[in-house]
Amino acid sequence: MPARPQHRRLAVVAGNAAATGADADNASGARIFARDLDWSILMARAQSGDADAYRRLLEEILPYLRAVVARWHRDRSDIEDTVQDVLLTLHTIRQTYDPNRPFTPWLAAIASRRAVDRLRRQGRARRGEAVLGGEYETFGRVQTNFEEAETRREALRRAVARLPPGQRRAVTLLKLQEMSLKQAAATSGMSIGALKVAMHRAMRTLRKMLGGKGGEA
Amino acid sequence: MISTSDLIKSLAADAAPVRRLRPPAVRAALWLMFAAFVFGLIAVSHGVRPDLAQKAGDAVYVVAVVAALLTGVLAAVAAFTLGLPDRSRVWLLLPAPSLVVWIATIGYGCLTAWVGLGPAGVRFADLAECFATLVLTSVPIWAALLFMLRHAARLRPALVAMTGSLAVAALSATALLVFHTLDATLMILVWNLGAGVAVIALGSVFGRRVFASIARRVPAARP
Repeated sequence: MPARPQHRRLAVVAGNAAATGADADNASGARIFARDLDWSILMARAQSGDADAYRRLLEEILPYLRAVVARWHRDRSDIEDTVQDVLLTLHTIRQTYDPNRPFTPWLAAIASRRAVDRLRRQGRARRGEAVLGGEYETFGRVQTNFEEAETRREALRRAVARLPPGQRRAVTLLKLQEMSLKQAAATSGMSIGALKVAMHRAMRTLRKMLGGKGGEA
Repeated sequence: MISTSDLIKSLAADAAPVRRLRPPAVRAALWLMFAAFVFGLIAVSHGVRPDLAQKAGDAVYVVAVVAALLTGVLAAVAAFTLGLPDRSRVWLLLPAPSLVVWIATIGYGCLTAWVGLGPAGVRFADLAECFATLVLTSVPIWAALLFMLRHAARLRPALVAMTGSLAVAALSATALLVFHTLDATLMILVWNLGAGVAVIALGSVFGRRVFASIARRVPAARP
């Protein structure tokens, strides 16, 4: 039962052209064949310990590997992780390559195996996860959940506006404009003691106006 | 996570020369020679069944032995071929015809001699002896096969473990046929097929894990 290498080779060539999107002229069979021959020779030299040939081979197959892996993965980091996985696998089993046979099907088989393995792993991981859906929100719209904060701010502004003038000035200077007692005294012409008293009374008035939620403190 | 270019640099720095694997048929032959050696040892220590010469005239028996042996050999070739990344999955079918014949002989024997099995047909001692032979034959050759195919752990572990286990099961069944007089066909059915299925099932379930651990401990590429 022969493995029909010719068939497989044609399939890989066709798949490669589609994956890289190379135009029809460039993806001609002769070119692919020459490239495969180059890779095959480099791999044979790598097997006998030629580090330079090995490095060149790994750099040259990178774009091809990315194209093959991109058939299974969309995410950029997924593709890069899988490519590294393929390179490591290739390194571990580099003695299984027979230089009498084409290199590209050998490489493509390893790449697709690693890519599919990663898909399966991701599938298993996803099965244990649940997306946090909208049903856990009180209201569907995001804006709705800020409604309360908005109304409270508005109520505070209105309450400050209704304060007696002395108290309002103390709140404006000391709290809203964040002045020190000394600065506020200089700006308003009130004494520090008067400012303190006005501020104290303003806080009490506001607490009363806003429904006394803050308690007695 | 290191960058891909750094990874390539470190892999290239680690490019020790490796010895290429021999063709799968040659490796299968090496493994079969080891299996023959193990069987030879058992034959010497245990002796073949006393009525072997007489059974050699029995067509069904001969067909069963030949089919089981052939299934073992072809499954071994298939396992070693499937262990390489660029070989077609069609190799899986290589042992199928002889496997069908082997199972058919078991079924045929069962049909014709079902009645022959009396109440005293099976003794516990026979069972235990059979089991011992089964373990003695299958464990060493299974371990050797897993070791020789450790590089397949990262490629097609389930497929390779399955064909490999079929090879081990078929060869063990051959050993049982040659070494044991248990002709009660029910026993053959149970032992041949049952043991075969058990070995294949164990191989499929644990093969992946055992493969992975062997591959971790022993680097696949050796200088």
